Amino acid sequence: MTTAVATSAVARPARAGWLTQTAQITGRWLTNTRRQVWGAAFSLVQPIVWILLFGQVFSSLGTLPGFGGVGYVTFLVPGVLMMTVLYSGAWAGTGYIDDMKSGVMDQLLTAPVARTAIITGQLIQQLLICLAQSIVVLLIGWLGGAGYPGGVGGMALALLTALLLATIFCSLSTAAALTARNQVALIGISQIVVLPVTFLSTTMMPASLMPEWVQNVSTYNPMTWAVDLARNTLAGTVDGAAIWQVGGLVALAVLAYIWSVRALRGYQRSL
Amino acid sequence: MPGNSNAIVVDDLVKTYSSGRRTTVHALRGLTFHVQPGIVFSMLGPNGAGKSTTTKILTTLSRPTGGSARVDGIDVVAKPAEVRTHIGYVSQGASTDPLLTGTENLVLAGRLRGMSSVDARARASALLREFGLGDTADRPVGKFSGGMRRRLDVAAALVHAPRVLFLDEPTTGLDPESRAAMWGEIRRLSAERAITVILTTHYLEEADRLADDIMIIDRGTKVVGGSPDELKASLNGDALRVALVEPDADRVRRAVAPVVGLRDVVVELQGTSGQLIARTDDASAAVAPTIAALEAAGIVFGAVSAARPSLDDVYLHYAGRSFDPADARAEGTPAGADGQTSDSDLKGQAA
Repeated sequence: MTTAVATSAVARPARAGWLTQTAQITGRWLTNTRRQVWGAAFSLVQPIVWILLFGQVFSSLGTLPGFGGVGYVTFLVPGVLMMTVLYSGAWAGTGYIDDMKSGVMDQLLTAPVARTAIITGQLIQQLLICLAQSIVVLLIGWLGGAGYPGGVGGMALALLTALLLATIFCSLSTAAALTARNQVALIGISQIVVLPVTFLSTTMMPASLMPEWVQNVSTYNPMTWAVDLARNTLAGTVDGAAIWQVGGLVALAVLAYIWSVRALRGYQRSL
Repeated sequence: MPGNSNAIVVDDLVKTYSSGRRTTVHALRGLTFHVQPGIVFSMLGPNGAGKSTTTKILTTLSRPTGGSARVDGIDVVAKPAEVRTHIGYVSQGASTDPLLTGTENLVLAGRLRGMSSVDARARASALLREFGLGDTADRPVGKFSGGMRRRLDVAAALVHAPRVLFLDEPTTGLDPESRAAMWGEIRRLSAERAITVILTTHYLEEADRLADDIMIIDRGTKVVGGSPDELKASLNGDALRVALVEPDADRVRRAVAPVVGLRDVVVELQGTSGQLIARTDDASAAVAPTIAALEAAGIVFGAVSAARPSLDDVYLHYAGRSFDPADARAEGTPAGADGQTSDSDLKGQAA
């Protein structure tokens, strides 16, 4: 038996292609998700509460001017969609903290695996989770009475926007995790970022109903860009600002991704 | 294959960590050594001596500040990606994902290194059987016992048949039974495969049993190197012990005084029994004359043993840095002072 192992010589030295490496990393994290599916499922409690409770309690807001007369739930769903992605993405770095603590990270870094494959593989897993959550949020919204006049095309564009926002915050969380290297710091950073980003945007209120300084801040908030984009695509309307908002989100996503890869290299340099 | 070239060549390796603005830590200060292929090579030294730093540099995890290192002939700084295809690394922590099964972990390790899905699966199941983990192949690793998990870590490091295997404290935290099993695996690996094993350990017994070659390092440089036997021989002589029954210390000492080659004769008394301990260059040659001398003097004695210095003696001699017998005596604790002083010294370095 042992001799069989010794003689079944492996072709060496070998290295997998980048796509294989990335797919393997994604597969590893997806298996993790599958075995802890309650984590991803639990994060759907929030959107249910937001849409079905908050949306009902504050439904009379929808009669105010500025909500476009579509009803508050229809107004709120794109906001909750982006909030879900934001909250989910903010935790994306947790897996790296576990890996750094356990030693699995050292194993990956001493294997012939590209640093970008390590980062991209995990990002794809996070985006797949976000996509699944986003679809469920749209479903919950529909059950709660929201309308999507933009149809399937509008929903697809809204989901794409959600993935763009998810890329930004997953990458930021990854970069923060690899830089701070402990869970407490990551929680702190997420808390400091997530709530202001949510409330200084058009997630729950149209810009016209917010105080002027909040309006000004929210114009530069990528959360606003994503929520406005989703609101328009789901409604089947187009806004002149769309091109800038898409451009802004793409630019931030690229920058955040680059930072996360650099953070991994920085982590290795600190060893 | 260049059979006569060294598996590891380390030349004047320097690693400096700067923590904060002012404090710089010199982890390695010009470490130089080489390792022959196919042997088990053990690095010993107190915590902070530079063992882990050396392992991290050789496994391409960390970059040296100066000097050079080659693994299997490949420069770790110039071609880290290539070095990675030649090495297996079992770090101090876990190498495997606790949520994946044993099979999944090994297949992942194989696929990341360019093996096809079929090859990786075949290799995984063969390795799991080889390491006695066949029955638990489909259980999540998080549910494994410590010993099983460690064996899986080693199996995962061997998926791609590396030329050099790094084991960083592979038996720390294992129960004695699992430790013995791990020793068996390491001995088997080095015997059956053309693999060089670089073993870092705190356990001198482990190094003594497994290593062909030992290097003691301290403060980032090599203190001494050689086979366990060479290192023990470098100390001053063997120890001869004779169990005594109701001994009269003076009579015993007078009886063995004429025996040629005995030095530092000590008679220990413990209640009604006692022990004669003496140093000698060649214990086996000194046994017979000592027995004859004791019999001639009519002294009742029991077991006679001749022991060569242990690796503990070697380690304390070379790495027991702050131990000074004069200090120990000054404190008025001559009995057992050796052990206490060196022990607290090691703990001090660990902190």
